[in-house]
Amino acid sequence: QGRSISGKVLDENNDPIIGASVLVKGTVKGAATDLDGEFSLSLAEGENILEVSFIGYNKQEVTIGNRSSLSVSLVPDTQALSEVVVTAFGMEREKKALGYTTQSVDGSKLAEARQPNVVNNLAGRIAGVQINSNSMPGSGSHVVIRGSSSVSGNNQPLVVVDGVPLEQTDTRRYGGGLSEINPDNIKEINVLKGATAAALYGSRAANGVIMVTTKDGSGTKGIGVEFNSNVTFDRPLIKPNFQNIYGGGAGYRTWYVDGRNGFDADGIRGTAGVDESWGAPMDGRLVPLWYSAPDRVPLLPQPNNWEQFWETGSAVQNNVAVSGANESGNFRLSLGRLDQQSIMYNNGYFRNNFKINAGYNLTSKLNVTVSAEYVKSGSDNRRYTASSDFIWAHRHTEYDRLRNWEDYYEIQRATFRPGDDYPYANWQHEYFANPYFLQDRYPNANMKDRLVGNIAATYKFTDNLSLMIRSGTDYWSDNRTDVTSVERTKNFVRILGAYTQTNISSQETNSDFILNYNKTFASKFSVNVQAGGINRTNDFVSNAVNVRELTIDGLYNLGNYASPVVPSSEIRRQTVNSVFGATQFGYNNSLFLDITGRNDWSSTLPINANSFFYPSVALSAVITDIFDIQSRVLSFAKVRASLAQVGNDADPYQLRQTFMAQGLWAGTTPTYSEAPTIANRDLKPEITTGREVGLDLRFLNGRIGLDLTYYHQSTTNQILAVAISNASGYQFRTLNAGEVTNQGVEAMLTASVLQNRGGLNWDVSVNFSRNRNLVVELAEGLENYILGSQNSVTSEARIGQPYGTFYGRRYLRSPEGEIVYNNGLPQLEPGTFALGNIQPDWMGGIANDFKYRNFSLGTLIDIRMGGDIFDVGTGLARKTGQYAETAIGREEGVIGQGVKNVGTAENPSFVPNDVVIQAATFWNATNPRNFHEAGIFDGSFVKLREVTFGYTIPQSILGKTFIQGVRVSLVGRNLAMLHRNHPHMDPEVDMKGGNAQGFASGEQPSTRNIGFNLNVTF
Amino acid sequence: CTGEFEETNTNPNEPEVVSPSLLLPNAIQVSADRYWGHSTRYQRLNIDAAMCWIQHIARNIYINSEGDNYEVPVTISSGTWDNVYRNSLVNFESILKLSRPGARYANVNYEGIALVMKAFTYSYLTDVFGPIPYSEALKGTADEPIYSPKYDSMEDIYAGLLADLKLANEKLTVGGPRVDGDILYNGNILRWKKFANSLRLKLANRQAAKKPAESRAIMQEILANPTAFPIFASNSEYAALNHANVIGSRNKMFDVFSTRSDWNISSTLIGKLLELDDPRINAYAKPTPTGEFAGLPNGLTDEAAATFVASTIGDRFLDPSAPSILMTYSELLFVLAEAAFDGDIQGDSQEYLRRAIAASFEQNGLSMPSDYMSRLGTINKEVIMTQKWIALFGQGIEAWTEYRRTGFPVMPAPHPSSIFTNNGVLPTRLEYPLGEYSLNSSNVATGVQLLGGDDTMRTKLWWAE
Repeated sequence: QGRSISGKVLDENNDPIIGASVLVKGTVKGAATDLDGEFSLSLAEGENILEVSFIGYNKQEVTIGNRSSLSVSLVPDTQALSEVVVTAFGMEREKKALGYTTQSVDGSKLAEARQPNVVNNLAGRIAGVQINSNSMPGSGSHVVIRGSSSVSGNNQPLVVVDGVPLEQTDTRRYGGGLSEINPDNIKEINVLKGATAAALYGSRAANGVIMVTTKDGSGTKGIGVEFNSNVTFDRPLIKPNFQNIYGGGAGYRTWYVDGRNGFDADGIRGTAGVDESWGAPMDGRLVPLWYSAPDRVPLLPQPNNWEQFWETGSAVQNNVAVSGANESGNFRLSLGRLDQQSIMYNNGYFRNNFKINAGYNLTSKLNVTVSAEYVKSGSDNRRYTASSDFIWAHRHTEYDRLRNWEDYYEIQRATFRPGDDYPYANWQHEYFANPYFLQDRYPNANMKDRLVGNIAATYKFTDNLSLMIRSGTDYWSDNRTDVTSVERTKNFVRILGAYTQTNISSQETNSDFILNYNKTFASKFSVNVQAGGINRTNDFVSNAVNVRELTIDGLYNLGNYASPVVPSSEIRRQTVNSVFGATQFGYNNSLFLDITGRNDWSSTLPINANSFFYPSVALSAVITDIFDIQSRVLSFAKVRASLAQVGNDADPYQLRQTFMAQGLWAGTTPTYSEAPTIANRDLKPEITTGREVGLDLRFLNGRIGLDLTYYHQSTTNQILAVAISNASGYQFRTLNAGEVTNQGVEAMLTASVLQNRGGLNWDVSVNFSRNRNLVVELAEGLENYILGSQNSVTSEARIGQPYGTFYGRRYLRSPEGEIVYNNGLPQLEPGTFALGNIQPDWMGGIANDFKYRNFSLGTLIDIRMGGDIFDVGTGLARKTGQYAETAIGREEGVIGQGVKNVGTAENPSFVPNDVVIQAATFWNATNPRNFHEAGIFDGSFVKLREVTFGYTIPQSILGKTFIQGVRVSLVGRNLAMLHRNHPHMDPEVDMKGGNAQGFASGEQPSTRNIGFNLNVTF
Repeated sequence: CTGEFEETNTNPNEPEVVSPSLLLPNAIQVSADRYWGHSTRYQRLNIDAAMCWIQHIARNIYINSEGDNYEVPVTISSGTWDNVYRNSLVNFESILKLSRPGARYANVNYEGIALVMKAFTYSYLTDVFGPIPYSEALKGTADEPIYSPKYDSMEDIYAGLLADLKLANEKLTVGGPRVDGDILYNGNILRWKKFANSLRLKLANRQAAKKPAESRAIMQEILANPTAFPIFASNSEYAALNHANVIGSRNKMFDVFSTRSDWNISSTLIGKLLELDDPRINAYAKPTPTGEFAGLPNGLTDEAAATFVASTIGDRFLDPSAPSILMTYSELLFVLAEAAFDGDIQGDSQEYLRRAIAASFEQNGLSMPSDYMSRLGTINKEVIMTQKWIALFGQGIEAWTEYRRTGFPVMPAPHPSSIFTNNGVLPTRLEYPLGEYSLNSSNVATGVQLLGGDDTMRTKLWWAE
């Protein structure tokens, strides 16, 4: 028999709270308060407890008893405005006390629409963080926080897991570091952006810190088991706009003879060695093709060969975690497995993660914790496409046939020209091998073991004084086998199989102690002191053997060599000792001053100058507390300011001049050569100085939050291998020089738009960042530093320009800006010019999260506007007649859009260009290898980065089963490209890795991932 | 706690001191490679640029972007410049430092060899670019280092090289201290002396029109005293790097031509050889499938080139252990024939020419037809230089230099389907690498002044007659 209850929800000032949530405990039945703060509900038998909540207030449970109306006063949740964040060395700090910016992402946001490389999930979520990812399994991503500051050094942030650094290797093919961490174990990722946030981490934190905190067992009641399964499928996101009218070949001819432009029995020259698509119309005419020659088959368009070529990729991740806790300690064990298949044929990756976190109170004063993850990962083949398959290509190629080349091998073998013998059939043999054969027989396999973990003991001398001693290590070894050749014959030259075996091992060990003291005096003054010391050692050894000729083809054993092998090794060691101290003073829990200092001694600097000190100071003032502002509109306001320095040492072995081994001449004579870089005996550490001011505002009881930051960061005394005139006999000179500044703004807006309005919750979070970068100074006499180059286009740090400005050749233009043509062909202006810049104008992200009863919907839009790429691939695919625009005017010729000079060179007179020229000649003349401007494209994109739609099975259904919770979600990543200016592909590219960003040459396409996630807790 | 830092930071990968014997092989190899072969695409100055420009060979594809139509990738310039300075010349300079009197490895024969190879390499580089850094170059790690070396005129560079070669002949001591790592002559010092003096004759002749008195005095000094100044006396003595059939040490023409078929023999060379009924056609070219010799015109569009059936390069040049030639006996005899014709030395120009041609035949494993000289008509400078052009097949850069100096051979009119850039002018030099403009800008500006014209491929070099 039903009854009803009505009531009113009030705040601490006895004003009504609008939109507060009132829920009948143990059900999904509830209501939201109206404009007067009132609600009413009907109750079923046994429903006796209400849960009343509102953001910014502590949740309250109210027992109804036999009342029919009641009034609830909510108490402000001070905790909500004093969230705890993890800062340097894993120390937890109140967010309101921080004088610098941090931003965190909860582990649950990383787990559902997960990426095998967890860092990719940060894209669009954190202001000022730029991530360039790839679609290759197990690949690394390039991460930059607040712009690039180091001209020649690493610009990626330091990665720290549970307080101990994780070596982040940014190779695209092999990933390494964050890409190997299991997302299921992550409780939270916290990004420390500025120099101040990083001051205590020293040397390598100048680019910011990504701090990963993993889950432990604390808070578990008894034993808990969690099972998570995530399955996603991948297809290419963007298909280039191909032409489907003309086939492969040249001069309107498509004619396979012997794969290499040879002549057939009738003396007809083949086009099989041409790797372009200026061939015959695909109108069904009968021509010999690679799988039929010399017999003829109809030449037909293959508009779907892109879809044929790319496989459906997949990622399957399963994880089981067991955790437990009691008053003495806690533990969590986790076992995870990832199997990933690429959209590239026979290209995959697997990863097994074993993780343990445990803590135990040995006595009431002594606590020990251990955190360890063992990762076994690798692949039979990490080779992905070398990118030419849709650039230097025949549009009529049927990839299904090419995949099944064995069916046509005997037919084709009969056409091989004398002196040639290939172990596969292919569409041509002049420049390319069959991509499927390459994927099968030229694998890049690897097997990698990694152990990262730490053991820490904390002793509490008193409630105010404690000491932590910790030692952590990150050790990995990687065993790589790269096949580079298999036996074949060309031009009567027999080429033998070849491969390279590489074994790498690397270890970083950090041992530290931290003394912690905190005390509150006279209830107004608080002081918090940390002091400690760290020893860090790095050891890296890479041994490689290149077997250039195999005796037995296909047997990849180092003993199977037919000619002298080429061994090499690289060893790197370095040690840094540090002491540091940090003090925080608090007044009235509303005004905070942080002072830190750190001194490092590094083995890589000159013995007499290897010590360097760097300080930081940060101020945080909670205005609303200090001035006792009590407003319903402005509920919290904090200003913060900080100033910090971070020093950075050199890479090892840069102090003394050396010679480089050049192998054996003729297999017998050893030889050396001067090293290309001039050493510097007087190196100094490089220094990054950061300044930051910020404002943290919360409105309407915290329903709306706005966080604004302005920062300015300058890196000086950079350790540069500066290019010098090669006429000096050397290529580079190592010196301290240069200054790069980054300044920018970051804004984060969060809003609870709807709070239980008809059961619907809607949260919005928006972030925006804009970074302006300037190369202020380089070495004396040096105006530019080359970060990367492709086809002589350079990405440079050039004085007065932002980092990553492209220089190359551009079209000659009339004073009105029209391209000047001569005989129908565009002309180049003499000299090189700035063509663009890799850095975006601004970036942003918009996240919307909806909850309705047991359903949730989350979306994330990732925006990057501006910034250029040099995409030689797209330009070349035009030159080779692949794209739709190249089919226009093939029969009748084309007229370039622009002008021609009908005057003299001295007195030009420009009229519209009207010279008709062959399409092939026209597109050839815009080849970005020489016409660099033709390869510059806008890198802007807006992507629907993430959608998750989840359903939590209600307790009422699970009832009294042993299952505690089940959540099922449909997840999607990179679902749609909402905006782009690039005509043919996703401009989010990273061809070269490291500082050479912004280059592309037919990259493996980015993928759309769709799948589901199942989470069950017991 | 920092006591072991010095040991930790001692380079375990690379030594701080090496002997000259370890620096010599790679430095020689790089010089020979950049002059004769070189296999890295877009850096193949001899194969893709010089041999095409001088119309020994022609491309049948990618004609417009790799050199044949005079449009060159900028890396042809930078690759040549950077590698010659950085991988060849600086190591010869280091050998000189390590082996000079009083130095750790004092040895007059290393000094002499380094001087000869430095002179050979510098002459190649200045003949390609014009004025280049010379007197201040290679000093990046000197006691008073120079990172932005000034440019010197070709005249000054030639004077320096000729002086160095004279000094080299003095230093080189037959029966003197032993040298190792000599992959050119295996420690045979007499042959180094012959190379030094033959090269000195070549350089003197090259500048003879500009500095007649000095050049004649040098030639006179050498030819008058064969004991003190021995020169090449047969095809068994000339300067060539013998390759081994080991990956990385093979003849680079094998590496390039055996893997790709982008080149044919130029119709200019085939035409000339057919006209003279010259048996060297059998060494230089292979017949087409129909058994004939046919050439491909230079500078065609890709589409036009596809309609030609033309000969490819002869197997002699495709042997993995075929030598990289630096200077031949026949080349020396051509120098003497020209010098005699110009009146710079005594002697019978026609006889020197006959011996030069005979040496060229012999070098290619052939005998000169007995009536060959009668096919040449009246001997004049054009005949001498045209024959030298035929003999220099493979040494495309040398042939290109001699064309730029003398204007011979006279090249035929371009094929109607050819499209040449560079205003149709056969390149007179390479442009300075872009790196010099960004890294050594004020000095390269002076270099352009010394050049006496714009930094284009149309400005003539100092020795142009």
